[in-house]
Amino acid sequence: MFGKKRVAIVGAGLTLFRRNLKETGKELAYEASKMALDAAGMELSDIQSVVMGTAPDAFDGVHMKGEYLADGAGARNKPYVRVYVGGGTGVFTPLAGWWHVASGQFDTCLVVCEEKMSSCFPHPAYAFTTIFDNILARPLGTTLIWIFALEMHRYMHKHNIKKEQIARVAVKNKRNALDHPCAQLAANITVEDVLNSEIMCWPVQRLDISPTSDGAAALVLASEDVAKKVTDNPVWIDGVGWCIDSTIWTNRDLYYPDYVEYAARMAYKMAGIKNPPKEIDLAEPYDPFDYKELHHMEGLLLCRKGEAPKLTEEGVTARDGDLPICPSGGLLGVGNPIAAAGAMKVCEVFWQLRGEAGKRQVPGDPRTGVAQAWGDLMQYGSVIVLRR
Amino acid sequence: MSLEKITDPRRMRHWLGHMETDYRYTLGIAGERFLNEIKENARIMGARCKRCGVIYVPPKMYCEECFEKLEEWIDLGTRGEVYTYTIAYVDMDGNRLAEPVIYALITFGDAYGGLIHKLGEVKPEEVWIGMPVEAVFKPPQERKGSITDIKYFKPAQ
Ligand SMILES: [Zn+2]
Repeated sequence: MFGKKRVAIVGAGLTLFRRNLKETGKELAYEASKMALDAAGMELSDIQSVVMGTAPDAFDGVHMKGEYLADGAGARNKPYVRVYVGGGTGVFTPLAGWWHVASGQFDTCLVVCEEKMSSCFPHPAYAFTTIFDNILARPLGTTLIWIFALEMHRYMHKHNIKKEQIARVAVKNKRNALDHPCAQLAANITVEDVLNSEIMCWPVQRLDISPTSDGAAALVLASEDVAKKVTDNPVWIDGVGWCIDSTIWTNRDLYYPDYVEYAARMAYKMAGIKNPPKEIDLAEPYDPFDYKELHHMEGLLLCRKGEAPKLTEEGVTARDGDLPICPSGGLLGVGNPIAAAGAMKVCEVFWQLRGEAGKRQVPGDPRTGVAQAWGDLMQYGSVIVLRR
Repeated sequence: MSLEKITDPRRMRHWLGHMETDYRYTLGIAGERFLNEIKENARIMGARCKRCGVIYVPPKMYCEECFEKLEEWIDLGTRGEVYTYTIAYVDMDGNRLAEPVIYALITFGDAYGGLIHKLGEVKPEEVWIGMPVEAVFKPPQERKGSITDIKYFKPAQ
C-alpha cells in the first residue's frame, strides 16, 4: 500500500483543442471542470481541494497564472495549489492530486489543466526563447525546433532509424484523432505527405510537429470510500512516478530519456508491474513530435531501445494492435495546449479503461493503461498507471 | 463553449498588451571564467571534479553528481567532435532563411556535456556525426567574453 488511501478517478472533462478559442483561460478551466464534475455526478461543494496545472505564464501572458485561473477551477475558499513542470505538467498535476487524497488529508480533489497559447503572438515560440541557457545558448539564436532536431537526429543516428519510419507515427496519430470530438489537427495523411512537408530544421519537418493550441482538461479524484459511493466504475491510480535530469541538456546522451525510465520504474514498482509490455494494455506517451512517441515508448520500457519504430511499422501500436499507443490521436492529432495536452492523455486512459472511448475504444477490454508527459528543457518525465 | 472556428484571432474582441521587461543575466562564477578564457586566451576550458573525476564542459561551479565544489580547470584545446546536428531552414517566425544555418552539439573527448554552436566553412551535405571540428575565434580585439567570440566550428584538418 502506497499512501494512506487508495485514490480513484471518477470523472473527466475536456474542452475542444483549437488554435484560437474565444474563451478566456478561466472560462476554459470552468468548461473542463464543470464537465468532469457532471461526469462524476458531483457538485463543486463536494470538492475539498483543487490542484491546477498550467505551463509558462508567458503563454497566457498572465503573471500569477495559478491565482488568475483559480476561480475557473472552482478553487475559491478551498485549499489550492498550482504545479508546474513544463511539458510534464499535464501528467504531473494528477500526480499532485493523488498525494492530496492518498495522504488522507482530503477525500476529493479536482485536478484542472489549462493553456491558452494563442494569447502570445505572433507565435508562442517567442515565449520559449527564455527557457534556454542565457549565457551559452541564447546568443546563438536558439529556437525550440532546432533543439528538438538535434535530439531527433541523434536518436535516428544511434539506431539507424529512417524518417519514413518516424513519419508513420504522425500518420497514425492524426488518423486516430479523426475519431476524437475535441481534435484540432485530425487528418488522413500519408507518409509521403510528411516527407514532402516543409523542412524546418532538418530532420524536423512541418508534419512532424504538433500544433499550438488553446484548451483545458479536468479530472475528479476521490478516496476509495467516496469513489465507491459515486460510481460503479472507478479507475484507480495505481502507480505514480516523476523524475528530472540535469538542466544542462547537453549533459545527456539524447537518444534515450533515462529520466522517463526512472519515472516509469517508480510508477511500475508501485503498481506491481514487472513486465510492462505484457501487463500494460494501452499507453499514451507524450508525442509533441512524432519521434518523441517512439523515444518515450522506449523510456516507458514498452519495448527495447531502438525497437519502437519497428513496432510502429508492424502495426503493433495501432488502435487495434497488440499494444495501442496514443489511441486518442495524441498531441499530433488532438492538439498541444501544453498542460491540458498531458491531462488529455490521462482523460483518454480513463475513458478507455471505462469502455467510454466511443469510436476510439481499443478492443480487448483493457484493464491497465499508462500515460506519460515530458517537459522542461527535455529533462522531465511524469508517469501515471491507471487500472480498472 | 464557442464552436465557431476562428482563423483570424483579430476578429475576436480583445485588448492588446505586452510584458515589457528586460533582463541582465550575470554570467556567474564559472561562466565568467569560462568566457574570459575564450576572450583572453582563445581556449575552451573544462572543470574537473576531484572526487568523481568527471570533467564538465561547459564548466560548472559544482559537481551535479556529488556536490563537490569544482576548482580544477583543464584546457580542453579547441577541437571537438560533432555529436549531433541540425540544419535550420526557418527562423522563429517560420520565414525561410537566406542561407541554411548548421547547428551542432560538439563534444570534447571524455568531458561530460558539450557546447552547442554553429558550423562554418562546410556545406550541409558534408557534415556527419562524429566529424572532428575546430573552433574558429574572432580576432582578439573583437572578443567580448561571449560564446559568440567563437565564430563557429569548422572541419578540423
Ligand atoms: Zn563529483
